[in-house]
Amino acid sequence: MSDDKILHVSRRGLLKAGAATTLALGTPAFFMKNAWAQDALGNFPVNGPKVMFGFNVPQTGAYADEGADELRAYKLAVKHLNSGGGMLETFKPSSLKGNGVLGKKVDFVVGDTQTNPDAARTSARRMIERDKVIMWGGGSSSSVAIAQQYLAQEVGVIFMCGLTHSNDTTGKDKRRYGFRHFFNAYMTGKALAPVLAKTYGKDRRAFHLTADYSWGHTQYESMKEFTEKQGWTTVGNIMTPLKATDFSQYLTAVINSDADVLVLNHYGKNMVNSLSQAVDFGMRDMIKNGKHMEIVVPLYSRLMAQGAGASKIDGVLGTSGWNWTLQDAGSKVFTKAFEAEYGFPPSQAAQTCYCQTLLYANACEVAGTFYPPEVIKALEGFEFEGMGLSGKTLYRAADHQCFKDILVVRGKGPDKKKGEYDLLEVVEEVPRDVVTYDPKIFGGELGPYKPA
Amino acid sequence: MSGTLTNHIFLQFVTGLQLGAIYALIALGLTLVFGTLGLVNFAHGALFMLGAYLAVVIAAKFGFIAAIVGVPIILFIVGLILEKGLIRFFYQRPHTDQILVTFGLAIVVQETLKWIFGANNLPFSLPSWGVGIIKMHEWVPFLEGFVVYPKWRIILIGVSMTTVAALFVLLQFTRFGLIVRAGMRDAEMLRFLGIDINKRFAIVFGLGAMIAGIAGVFGGPVTQVDPEIGMNMLVPSFLVVVIGGMGSLPGAVLASFLLGLALSFTAEYSAIQQIIVYVIAVVVLLVRPRGLMGQKGLMEE
Repeated sequence: MSDDKILHVSRRGLLKAGAATTLALGTPAFFMKNAWAQDALGNFPVNGPKVMFGFNVPQTGAYADEGADELRAYKLAVKHLNSGGGMLETFKPSSLKGNGVLGKKVDFVVGDTQTNPDAARTSARRMIERDKVIMWGGGSSSSVAIAQQYLAQEVGVIFMCGLTHSNDTTGKDKRRYGFRHFFNAYMTGKALAPVLAKTYGKDRRAFHLTADYSWGHTQYESMKEFTEKQGWTTVGNIMTPLKATDFSQYLTAVINSDADVLVLNHYGKNMVNSLSQAVDFGMRDMIKNGKHMEIVVPLYSRLMAQGAGASKIDGVLGTSGWNWTLQDAGSKVFTKAFEAEYGFPPSQAAQTCYCQTLLYANACEVAGTFYPPEVIKALEGFEFEGMGLSGKTLYRAADHQCFKDILVVRGKGPDKKKGEYDLLEVVEEVPRDVVTYDPKIFGGELGPYKPA
Repeated sequence: MSGTLTNHIFLQFVTGLQLGAIYALIALGLTLVFGTLGLVNFAHGALFMLGAYLAVVIAAKFGFIAAIVGVPIILFIVGLILEKGLIRFFYQRPHTDQILVTFGLAIVVQETLKWIFGANNLPFSLPSWGVGIIKMHEWVPFLEGFVVYPKWRIILIGVSMTTVAALFVLLQFTRFGLIVRAGMRDAEMLRFLGIDINKRFAIVFGLGAMIAGIAGVFGGPVTQVDPEIGMNMLVPSFLVVVIGGMGSLPGAVLASFLLGLALSFTAEYSAIQQIIVYVIAVVVLLVRPRGLMGQKGLMEE
């Protein structure tokens, strides 16, 4: 019958056509760089004249301040990527041209992580599935960052971490699709402990209050390890819930102990509240073991300093990834652009998110494609300068952790500050080599370039 | 060692009282409205938060004394308006409807405040007379060495206890209290006797809101002022009401301080502290299904 014939012919035709197509498509691929691997992956390929980025920041919760500033930085980064300016002038080696990325204009969508891993993943999924983002970034809180990294690996969309300081992010929970520009708790401990011992002496007894999640736990461990190496004793540690706003019951426990240093492994509103309340409880005027009681905030930020107020942070030591008062070319140009846009200087959260966006965009230009495995390879082992801090920064291939200088900072009292935002003074810039460590100490596996 | 065991117990005890003081102020309004009107008010945390925000604004403009006087009055009026305009239509409806409407109200208040003031902490400066510390060792004979406590937190405990006492007097020793208590038992009978119980009910709801306002003014500087404190305080306050016995004022006060002390004394053991409130709730409800001082008949018809 005719049906039979048609079927017969078309089957043979199909085979022929198939073979021809394979040959036709396959042949040039052998001569094109990397083209053999560029099948659809995540939201690749990017169709249309625009490329979509996703910015997932905490708009509520303990880290809402940081989230708001991250978003300002992202908008600025998109503006500079599309029309030039900012760190595009200082960042090198750079392939960015200020006309978008790979000839496509950058557009973006915004989400709310709510400082909650589940909410962050839901929000990220929406960006990936509905808005087709090729990359997303942002966030404050390491458990949020880690949850999103795992999602990134599952779906094959690159996640450029925002503010995350836990050792786990690029340690036991590191992922091929996650990258961190910010420093971590281990580096904080290593940079800060010698300064603490020099300032307060080697015979000190420390009590820690620690935010009860991934970041707090690793910072406590790192601070304990490095201060004990300096001769300090760790008297106690209390894990406090992230949602806590009143820390009185923990502070009285510290007062009751024989500790003469209080270490606050808190960040954002947690730290603003615990530090303010510690001062209210008279802890900065107490004499313990014949010594003046001291408070240490290992991870400092200008936003928190502002929240707590100059009188409460006066003389308090900690570390910071970046500060707007730095005088290198990259910092100056970024601060100037940010101030021109918003009327006040950027925070370290803003700086790290801004850099991450530029670094991702540059990696796409270097790779010549948005294809995630190629972009990842372009980021791995990339060394650059001109994005804040003097010296070079390395995106280490083994764990996707950036290595750069670390700032040890001290809070400025009301009599020392010049202006509303001048709250932190840089005591020491600890060189990159001092805080570099062997990636093996934290274990973990990056996982494959192509998600299963 | 600069801290002895007595100092330790004393400090954690005061801290427990201070934690309990805020729970008590919030739970009083909750349980009063439930006991009297039979209404489960999930918007109560939002009223507390509204009080705290109003206190910040008024204190900044007109001084702290103005906030102490003004905020409870404003909240009382807000309570009256809410009751007349919305709540009274839900007295006869199932508890699920009441929960839905008050929960919705709470979200509206929360999002409105976030829209106006942003999601960040509002700085709440204490008045000059509330700043500083009290040297407890000068007052309490058995303390050794140097023991201090922030003055404001002591004031908070005092305010809470005074409010509790005032409410007891109002309900036990005034004609208004008598009618309200009668209304709790049998509203229909009061109507037969020609008493306008609805008017009293509106005032009771206003009173609940007013106490939430007091909690906002005095508790705000301690709990911090941001759009999440309403929900953050509602959950423990609700547990307090359940543990104390739904509708029981003495029960709510007792449970507040019980919880405050439990949280304070387990502060050093975070694994225990984070579940202690629920452990107490489970144990109390197993032993006494109506709560510590729950009344027979409520929630049981």
